[in-house]
Amino acid sequence: MMPLRKVLLICGAVLAVICCALLPLVVGPYGVGIALNVLMWIALAESWAMFSGLSGYISLGHAVFYGVGAYVTVLLWQLVPLWVAIPLSGFGAGLLALVLGWPCLRVRGPYFVILTLGVSEFVKYIVIGSEAALGRNGRLLIGTPSLVVLFEAMLLVAIVSMVALYVVRSSRLGAGLLAIREDEVAAGAVGVNATAVKLLTFTLSALVPGVVGGLMILRSTYFEPLQAFNPTTSFTIVTIAILGGSDDVPGPLLGAVLLVLLSELLWARAPEVYMIILGVLLVAFVLFVPEGLLGRVQRLASPAKP
Amino acid sequence: MDLSVIFSAQLLASVLVLASLYALVAIGLNLVYGTMRLLNVAHGELVMLGGYVAYWAFAQWAISPLLAALVAMVIAAAVGALLYIAIIRRLFRSPSLLARIESNSLLVFFGISIIIQNVTSLAFTADSRGYSYLDDVIEIGGARIAANRLATLAVAGLASLACALFFRYARSGMAMRAIIQQRDAAALVGIDVDRINVQVFALGFALAALAGALISMSQQISPFMGFPFTVSGFVIIILGGLGNLTGSIFGSLILAAVEVYGVTLISPSFRSILVYGVFIAALLLRPQGLLGRSIRAR
Repeated sequence: MMPLRKVLLICGAVLAVICCALLPLVVGPYGVGIALNVLMWIALAESWAMFSGLSGYISLGHAVFYGVGAYVTVLLWQLVPLWVAIPLSGFGAGLLALVLGWPCLRVRGPYFVILTLGVSEFVKYIVIGSEAALGRNGRLLIGTPSLVVLFEAMLLVAIVSMVALYVVRSSRLGAGLLAIREDEVAAGAVGVNATAVKLLTFTLSALVPGVVGGLMILRSTYFEPLQAFNPTTSFTIVTIAILGGSDDVPGPLLGAVLLVLLSELLWARAPEVYMIILGVLLVAFVLFVPEGLLGRVQRLASPAKP
Repeated sequence: MDLSVIFSAQLLASVLVLASLYALVAIGLNLVYGTMRLLNVAHGELVMLGGYVAYWAFAQWAISPLLAALVAMVIAAAVGALLYIAIIRRLFRSPSLLARIESNSLLVFFGISIIIQNVTSLAFTADSRGYSYLDDVIEIGGARIAANRLATLAVAGLASLACALFFRYARSGMAMRAIIQQRDAAALVGIDVDRINVQVFALGFALAALAGALISMSQQISPFMGFPFTVSGFVIIILGGLGNLTGSIFGSLILAAVEVYGVTLISPSFRSILVYGVFIAALLLRPQGLLGRSIRAR
């Protein structure tokens, strides 16, 4: 029974990917733009869940990895080809995660949450300061790839991000992270090298936002540090993870689709109302559906499990 | 660089004014964290609301902001108590939410923070607003200072002092300190923890609103002005030690000094880098606070 289910699942996934890839043939630029946003949030939230969802260390640092990715792409613009610059954006973000993660991961719980926020704001103001010192008031990119190219690239990144979460979750690394989430001291006692596991995953989870940042700056064609390093990015990712659930691959996917649809319905017409609904959803989900939509669906599907 | 700058009465006065405001913000934030382990990232929003109450009272009915501050405090206290009763109490009731109380509270308060910001923005537009009140300059001991800032210092200083006395001598104040030290033991010796929690919310929010009303006399207010105060508040309570109320006052002085001197000696654009730099250094080097004695594994 299991193999059949798996085969069906894989066939379904491949079919969904092909449909997604062919989407630009069917819908206009507006639709492709929305789809690009959905894919961006899927990629970001899945990569966030890889570290924060599995380890329970809620990171507000994704905005800085996104921003650094964007910055690297902007700095390398027209110096190297994009197929070099975009991966380098990912590695730049990964390198930063390695450097920042080493001190940050020594603290836990609320200290970690506010430290990641503090560090990303710190980096943001450093970039703002250095751009001002260079006399650059924002940078314009001219001749960026078309929307469809960016969409297909983002589709690839989203798939990689989902597969990466799946692979990490079912590996020894994932088992180590889940053990850390339940009880870090006990995990250490049974032989999990907590420091190494956390630092490795934190670094891995920063690669995707770096690449996403690089791609999205090609979409917006304008780099401005306040925008690129906006902490709202981190908060939105956390909200997506809370809505969908961050324990498994479908959770962040569900959350991202839901949130982007909501934002498309309301953002342009009533941005304040959108933000208020976002806040209400966040509060309501933490209080009443802490396991997220996916967790709730799974629980309803198998009522025997507590 | 002339060293006398560092000792100028002018800068010292600025440090004291800023520190007294920060103390009001930080005491409330620390009280909520200390007694309940809640990370109130919506604390700055109460500062903003206090500012709006004072602004409207002045703009509509020409009521002195110093008087309106009292109204703002009452409103904020009611908001705090209601928030606790309607939402926060639920966090303590469910064991799974309680297990990660800090992270969950952070998310809930973040939600509340965006709700308050955007409701304010819808109601009053996102424009910055300001008014002038008591803005003649007074000269004291070589420092030239606007009367409203002097009033800020006096009121905020008195309020901080009143808080210190309250924690030292009042029954509720002592109960709050007892809960900060030993939550379970405090309940065992007969302290009604739930009732004190309501009071903590009311008091903490009222202090933030007072700070906001005072700030509105000398600065422009906007619906999104709260976040920097939340950040400064967190920097201060980490400097002074989470749950350590005396430490908060100490931390306010340090952060205010770093900000004022940093901005004067280096450049205004360094303000955020300095604040976050102090923040990171404090968290990494002394997460137990500068005054803290023992390192608790947390």
